[in-house]
Amino acid sequence: MSEHVTEQDVRRIAEYARIGLTDDELPQMTADLNSIIDSLKPITEYDLEGVEPTFHPIGDLSNVMREDVEGTSFTQAEALSNAPAKENGSFLIPSILGGGDA
Amino acid sequence: MASFDYSALTVDGIRAGLAAGDFSAREIAEAALARIEAADAKVNAFLQLIPDAALAAADAVDAAVAAGKLNELGPLAGVPVGFKDNMNLLGTRTTCGSHMLENYESMYTATCVQRLLDAGGLPMGKLNMDEFAFGSSTETSAFGTTKNPWDLERVPGGSSGGSAAAVAAGMLPITLGSDTGGSIRQPASFCGVVGVKPTYGLVSRYGVVAFGSSLDQVGPFARTVRDAALAMNALVGHDPLDCTSQPCTTDFTANLEQGVEGMRIGVVPEFMTAQGLEPEVGEAVLDAIQKLASAGAEIVEVDLPNAAAAMSAYYVIGPSEAFSNLSRFDSVRYGLCDPGHADLGSQYEASRSRGFGPEARRRIMLGSYLLSAGVYDTYYYPAQQVRTLITDDYRMAFGECDCILAPASPRTAFKFGEITDPTTMHLSDIFTISINIAGNGGMSVPLGLGKDSKLPVSAQLICPWFQDENMLRVAAALEREYGAAELPPAFASGRAGE
Repeated sequence: MSEHVTEQDVRRIAEYARIGLTDDELPQMTADLNSIIDSLKPITEYDLEGVEPTFHPIGDLSNVMREDVEGTSFTQAEALSNAPAKENGSFLIPSILGGGDA
Repeated sequence: MASFDYSALTVDGIRAGLAAGDFSAREIAEAALARIEAADAKVNAFLQLIPDAALAAADAVDAAVAAGKLNELGPLAGVPVGFKDNMNLLGTRTTCGSHMLENYESMYTATCVQRLLDAGGLPMGKLNMDEFAFGSSTETSAFGTTKNPWDLERVPGGSSGGSAAAVAAGMLPITLGSDTGGSIRQPASFCGVVGVKPTYGLVSRYGVVAFGSSLDQVGPFARTVRDAALAMNALVGHDPLDCTSQPCTTDFTANLEQGVEGMRIGVVPEFMTAQGLEPEVGEAVLDAIQKLASAGAEIVEVDLPNAAAAMSAYYVIGPSEAFSNLSRFDSVRYGLCDPGHADLGSQYEASRSRGFGPEARRRIMLGSYLLSAGVYDTYYYPAQQVRTLITDDYRMAFGECDCILAPASPRTAFKFGEITDPTTMHLSDIFTISINIAGNGGMSVPLGLGKDSKLPVSAQLICPWFQDENMLRVAAALEREYGAAELPPAFASGRAGE
């Protein structure tokens, strides 16, 4: 099996995807990803010169527009109802840049 | 003990019984709850039961019946229904089988759920699934496995395993699942019930937690083709809240009795000789082809030369879209939060690491990799080009036939823990995935039990875009040959898994 991603790559991917990975989890995740990426090989072997991509399965449909009319929506209380932490009608989060008070 | 055999009732049977006064909708709901209590102790299909909502809906049906207004009720009046737990229903939790959403309370109701309720369905509860629908066995659920009613040591398939098992064990006549690569058709096959993945765009996904937005479609499970068609009638139609939703006024029951005479049924040689196809499944599908030919259908060979690339295209497109969709779980607005961090980045990483299970993390990581600069051009863009080739294959094939018949799953239900390698698990969906890539409708229809395994075997029927009535018509013809889905012996009338 080819090595498509190294443990160092996987560490970087995890940071980008905001998935905390422990040092213990790293080797297995790296092996799993390499195995799956290996199975994607057929995609790289097709002669696709001049083939248009399809981003939507039913390709010949056109966009639907509607009038911009005011309607009812979630109340502030509803929007906050599943929030793990809230304060004064807002979502509560720790410091964005770090270093502040948690 | 109810004076009627609840588990044997069809949608038509429930309506007739209500009309004749044989039973009330409340008695149906109570019988369903009793059945679930007995059978689900063994099967574990339900993540949440909502008896109060079920009984309230039943009382509303009974009030209408008492007022002589049964005819004004929808096609599913008094029919107990259940929903895969990625579908929002106000007043329930919607967990997606994940710790990430363990305590998430739905703030609104998904359109597909609302449509079944508007049709008179009685909401019984929410059904188990692979975490965020990532899986083919329901083993990745954070809340325990669901057992296959045909053999409690085997998986029900997935990701909509709870929805399939609840129907198979006679707990509910109709449930809803979602299908991104086979998640309705494969568990329907493993559990020996009818499962329909409609053409992309027929059923609104509003309120269904998104996995792969260009692939996801909602559809019904049932024990008879007619029940599935009645559920389809209730589900389809334009919804302004899902921009992919299409108008549809088809009555899917209209041609069920017409038979297949004069229909052209396509058979794909590449599928019938595919590596990994178990002999008993291949033989059962060949037998189904013979029976359709005897019933007057014209059998034609059609080629899908690029279908073999569907698996790898799917494992590019699916995880890429999942990575994007699952970025919404930020531990701030809703979902699991690991508290006490000094900065937001640490909170994100810790919360997402704790909230997502191994398969979800793998797919998010894979999607993140595939969409990264430099890699995008190697996999993602070519996958979308391959998608064009596969879609063109189907379009060409449907120039030659009205419906394609293929295996649904390469094998019958496997045992818990039997498949641990992710890449091998993904092969469960080799016959279903290309249909999601191309957007066509597909469905599983039971062909009885495999001659070696004595477990359910199914055929898959595939239809041209927005001609889902074609496959239901063929399915009805097969059902007349093989009989409607039976209850497994351990869950036959009066039994609950003993």
